Amino acid sequence: MAVAGPGQLNVEEYPSWGSRSVDCFEKLEQIGEGTYGQVYMAREIRTGEIVALKKIRMDNEKEGFPITAIREIKILKKLHHENVIKLKEIVTSPGPETDEQGNQDGNKFKGGIYMVFEYMDHDLTGLADRPGLRFTVPQIKCYMKQLLTGLHYCHVNQVLHRDIKGSNLLIDNEGNLKLADFGLARSFSTDHTGNLTNRVITLWYRPPELLLGATKYGPAVDMWSVGCIFAELLNGKPILPGKNEPEQLNKIFELCGSPDELNWPGVSKMPWYNNFKPSRPMKRRIREVFRHFDRHALDLLDSMLTLNPEKRITAQDALVAEYFWNDPLPCDPKSLPKYESSHEFQTKKKRQQQRQNEETAKRQKLQHPQQHTRLPPIQHTGGQAHPSHWHGPNHPINNPQPPVSAGPSHHQYGRPRGPPGGPNRYPPSGNQSGGYNQNRGAQVGGYSGGPYPPQGRGPPYAGSGMPAPGQRGAASGYGVGPPNYSQSSQFGGSAGGRGPNPMGGNRNQQYGGWQQ
Amino acid sequence: MADFQTSTHRANWIFTTQELDDKYNAARQRAIQTLEKYGATLMEVDVDGTLSYPEPQINSKDNADKHSRPKPLTIEEERYMRVFYENKLQEVCNNFHFPHKIQATALIYFKRFYLQWSVMQHHPKNIMLTCIYAACKIEENHVSAEELGKGISQDHQLILNNEMIVYQSLEFDLIVYAPYRSIDGFVNDMEEFCPVKDDQLQVLKAIHETARMEVDKIMLTDAPLLFPPGQLALAALRSSNEVHKVLDFERYLRSILSRQSSAHTVSELIESLNSIDSWVRGYKFPSEKDLKHINRKLKSCWGLSSHDESKKREKKSKHKSKKSLNETQNVPSHTDL
Repeated sequence: MAVAGPGQLNVEEYPSWGSRSVDCFEKLEQIGEGTYGQVYMAREIRTGEIVALKKIRMDNEKEGFPITAIREIKILKKLHHENVIKLKEIVTSPGPETDEQGNQDGNKFKGGIYMVFEYMDHDLTGLADRPGLRFTVPQIKCYMKQLLTGLHYCHVNQVLHRDIKGSNLLIDNEGNLKLADFGLARSFSTDHTGNLTNRVITLWYRPPELLLGATKYGPAVDMWSVGCIFAELLNGKPILPGKNEPEQLNKIFELCGSPDELNWPGVSKMPWYNNFKPSRPMKRRIREVFRHFDRHALDLLDSMLTLNPEKRITAQDALVAEYFWNDPLPCDPKSLPKYESSHEFQTKKKRQQQRQNEETAKRQKLQHPQQHTRLPPIQHTGGQAHPSHWHGPNHPINNPQPPVSAGPSHHQYGRPRGPPGGPNRYPPSGNQSGGYNQNRGAQVGGYSGGPYPPQGRGPPYAGSGMPAPGQRGAASGYGVGPPNYSQSSQFGGSAGGRGPNPMGGNRNQQYGGWQQ
Repeated sequence: MADFQTSTHRANWIFTTQELDDKYNAARQRAIQTLEKYGATLMEVDVDGTLSYPEPQINSKDNADKHSRPKPLTIEEERYMRVFYENKLQEVCNNFHFPHKIQATALIYFKRFYLQWSVMQHHPKNIMLTCIYAACKIEENHVSAEELGKGISQDHQLILNNEMIVYQSLEFDLIVYAPYRSIDGFVNDMEEFCPVKDDQLQVLKAIHETARMEVDKIMLTDAPLLFPPGQLALAALRSSNEVHKVLDFERYLRSILSRQSSAHTVSELIESLNSIDSWVRGYKFPSEKDLKHINRKLKSCWGLSSHDESKKREKKSKHKSKKSLNETQNVPSHTDL
């Protein structure tokens, strides 16, 4: 039996049929891992171009090629937008493959299928979780605007993303944000009669209608997730971190009030309403809980986190919200700072190294206490991109310190001399009142990485009176989130993503059947 | 806006007649090369899309240069085979009461697949079934492989085995634009174009129905590989209008072009529509006799003489699902399926 190897069919007769071989690429590093398989950073041998390779796992043999992969390919081939990740091609690997541990994939697919994407340096979660990094308000507006622009394009083209969360929003070093991981996405039409599955969207970002069992829904589901991300960016941490579905709904009701026939006509007819309806009416508390946000941010957030999906703001309307047209304006993506790439795999390694460095530093400190002077001086207060606005009328009263830039002005100080691979962002000076760096510096005593909790994320509104950042700061910095709270998972890893996964761990098995 | 203009359909899968002929010839030549090298043409496909060439035929080597060397199908015979199975494909879709869209998608997949391969290399019955299965998946009209297989008394593993090779051959360009939606759009437009009286709505309904049937015919020709779906729809509507005589079609075409500020001239458009019509008129279905002849040739190309069959069966008995592949690889006829 003559096996048609790559030399015989894929290359020699190329392009007589089919796809190129994965051998056209050199795998450089694994940058993501999830139930769907692995994501690699790779270089195209011919052109030297850096790409991301996402392997499609084919474990649902019963129905062949996974429907989620089909949808992702189909949708990504249809969408062409600067805020939607670009699928460059599909490549196949003809021979048996082994994983890192040397095990063969445990299925009968000897070869593999890879989706080739443009390479992106970060994802939003990974970036936000960088030690000491804080987004500025113009930066947050810039990301939000791009997120809404990309999502509006999807919705206009009748695509629901259904897994909007920080780790699926990829960011390159030009400041561009792109929607990625369309593995749960699907097309919808207004005349669609079939039922859709409500087991989509990562729990923390899942809207109330899905939690109440809706099987007919639309673009509003994505807008809820956007609202959660928006609040998270301003707040510095996830706002609705439920552990399970009942708890998730409860958290939503505690923040957004309980639904009733007045604010959400028809809600009492929803499939699981009776199981989950709150025992007592609850008041909507968004404006109280987030009172430290500026007025326009709060207005926009309020309209996104609207319980009734019919009343929830659309991406299109959100884009013309006052928030984006008032000072400080969204910045130009190109003006954003360039960061070292943050991928879960890489940041994990770096953190390990950082801990080692800290140990070393501790030991060295005994001999060379002056090492401590390497700590960056507090010198970044002027780093705001639009400093003047901070004394203008929009300046929140309870925000005495401006959000400190991790921004362009940074460059004037050059790159901090931290340990190799360590975090390279200095802490903002404005967050004393957010309160998590002063003491720890002394405790840990290492340079650069020391003072700041490895996962610490400050809100841009420092000293906001939100209890959370302080608590977080007081904690060790680890273990703040739920167990799988983690850094970025590039290209939509579910394992690395924050919050429980929509599919309870394995998309393909649970979802790969014929659910809609 | 993602539409036909920005689609892979338009970018990669609309050809000139010359390009189409070249592709058919090239696919046939590859099959002939395989035949010369291995004595048979049928590719062995693995579920992950891996391909193997046929096992060299000992028989054919023994009798080398004798008349027993299988003769390849002619271009015309290959076309007849495709035509036969495209009809089968429509039949199966009708039996399952699938929407037109699925049938059209499956048909276009089938056509595209056989631009890359000869029917001598991949059994058109299996490919046809896999194309239907794939079309159901892509159009979100879920049918399990098992259900589909049962409905036509075929082993569903056959369908799954070919899935990867089909997607690969389609270069994963899975969204296709069928003319059915274009017809709906044009008929809506016609309502506005001609002064609507009560009785005219009925006539438009009739024109709509007839046009759909015309498109079914067009879809069986090579026209979908040569013209965009909008033109296929207009050709169908023009034919339908000739029956129902509702409007001045040329004037209607002018009005469309003027509104779209299209680069086409009316005469260019009419030329395309004429050409689509001639594809429909030139459509030939193989006779019973032709089919018998072609099937005999195909069977020997596939290397499925009784002697080999028992050998193959022995080899594959370890794989239960594949065993039935041989059993079902019999001569297709009208009673097949």
